Amino acid sequence: MIGTKSFEAIVNGEQVKLNIPQNLRLIDVLRNYLGLTGTKEGCGEGECGACTVLVDGEPYNSCLLFALQVQNKNILTIEGLASYNNLHPLQESFLEHGAVQCGYCTPGMLLVAKALLDKNPNPTREEIKVAISGNLCRCTGYSKIVDAISAVAEKGVKR
Amino acid sequence: MTIGKSLPRYEGLGKVTGQAKFPADYYMPGMLYGKTLRTPLASAKILRLDTSKAESLRGVAKVVTAQDIPGENGHGVIFPDAPILVEDRVRSINDAIALVAAESEEIAEEALSLIKVEYEELPAVYDPREAMKEDSPLVWDKGNILYHLPIRKGDVEKGFREADVIVENKYSTQMVDHAFLQPEAALSYIDETGNLVLRVATQYVHWDRTEIARALNININQVRVVCATVGGAFGGREDMTLQLHCSLLTWLTKRPVKMVYSREESFKAHSKRHPIYMKYKTGCTKEGKLIALEAEFIGDAGAYSSWSPNILRKSAVHATGPYYVPNVKVDAYAVHTNNPFTGAMRGFGAAQPPIAYEAQMDLLAKELGLHPFTIRWRNAFEEGSETATGQILETSVGLKETLLATAKAYGWDVEKLY
Ligand code: FES
Ligand code: FES
Repeated sequence: MIGTKSFEAIVNGEQVKLNIPQNLRLIDVLRNYLGLTGTKEGCGEGECGACTVLVDGEPYNSCLLFALQVQNKNILTIEGLASYNNLHPLQESFLEHGAVQCGYCTPGMLLVAKALLDKNPNPTREEIKVAISGNLCRCTGYSKIVDAISAVAEKGVKR
Repeated sequence: MTIGKSLPRYEGLGKVTGQAKFPADYYMPGMLYGKTLRTPLASAKILRLDTSKAESLRGVAKVVTAQDIPGENGHGVIFPDAPILVEDRVRSINDAIALVAAESEEIAEEALSLIKVEYEELPAVYDPREAMKEDSPLVWDKGNILYHLPIRKGDVEKGFREADVIVENKYSTQMVDHAFLQPEAALSYIDETGNLVLRVATQYVHWDRTEIARALNININQVRVVCATVGGAFGGREDMTLQLHCSLLTWLTKRPVKMVYSREESFKAHSKRHPIYMKYKTGCTKEGKLIALEAEFIGDAGAYSSWSPNILRKSAVHATGPYYVPNVKVDAYAVHTNNPFTGAMRGFGAAQPPIAYEAQMDLLAKELGLHPFTIRWRNAFEEGSETATGQILETSVGLKETLLATAKAYGWDVEKLY
């Protein structure tokens, strides 16, 4: 039997304290303990990026992290990006540009895009492509996602 | 009026905020976790199946084998020839043998490893061309050829005699997985009226419902299939995967059951695009007018029928491509092998033939010293054209306009290429 340990972090701006099995992945804590099911599992092995969350502003595959590796860190999931009535410009732009089809890659795509724009508010299309290169989308063919991100970059919106 | 306007995706808000619920996003208090035992063999007889150790593992609520299915043990979009759980004859790698429902995923996983299966391996066939031969191992006793569609138009022999150039080649395409981003998942439970409810991402809600009712031996109105948000499908969610398994576990335990496939199991469980072996013989006059075409398609159906007949029919119907040919002979076959079963995937049999017929067009053009545009232009379907199956195309034949627009976009001087 694997022992439990106390886990503390700030998730979407709120302090979280839980007792969790030591071998639990970050994605499992988010989905199964905190009910944050916006974080998706597509492969469980770091290939698809559907499970992307931001840890201290950097994108990570939450399927490849033990929760205890992000002890005391600041974690942002899709649920923390904006509220239903007050969308982030990237969310609006994804909808406007048809960058969302089935939506399974969308949370991860939005979060890598946010991480990019926070660091580099004026990326080139090439830089956008590199930023989303760890995230697979099987529906859109990517170009609309790149359009959506560059439209936000052009407006120079920062949040 | 909404016609002619771009409307926002109505479920888009939920998708950009992480609120959209895919099947794995549903949880219920007291739910069990379901797992599937699959065979590593492609062709075998089950001699013994011992689930006793798995059943006595603490935390295991139920182990299910073929014997426990209350109704019919078979499913399929055309013929119900895919087993829900194999009774004695394994026909394909990854066939499901047993199911476990347990208090946690870990326990369910451990229980699978405690199930003992003794097999007698049987001869297998992995190439549909081999499977058509008299002496091939039989995937099904009735024979391996599932479907044959001949199309005959005009007189191909005469056509080839009149041809100035003939090109003859073989082409083949490979097996492809849809790899939709959301692996299969489902949650099933019994509702307050005693009916079975299944939340799943599916392309075929009403058929899932029919087949679940048949397998559980209950009335169709006792089954509710609720389609969750679907994380891509591309044809790969037309056949049943975990729908029947999850339903069975709930029906037999009367408890909510959740099943979530890993990516690996997703690859194992759902259909694939048909590999098709194609033979083409195409003849045309020196003006570049097609005069005869002979094609053979041998599609690998894998062990179970799924949509294979319809798909190979579509390949056959598309054999000439969008080109008028007066003399045509096509034979399309769907053939069983012990490979994973093949089914619907974007194009549904129309995606493979272009690899062959367009290559033939390029080769004919080359032989004749014609531009690739010219040979296509001279044979392109237009309003009033008759296809190989005798259909007269009465309206909406936009091929020539499309050809022109593309050629111009390429900067080709079309005036000189007609
Ligand atoms: S689920 Fe983590 S990268 Fe695919
Ligand atoms: S929208 Fe379906 S995977 Fe990206």
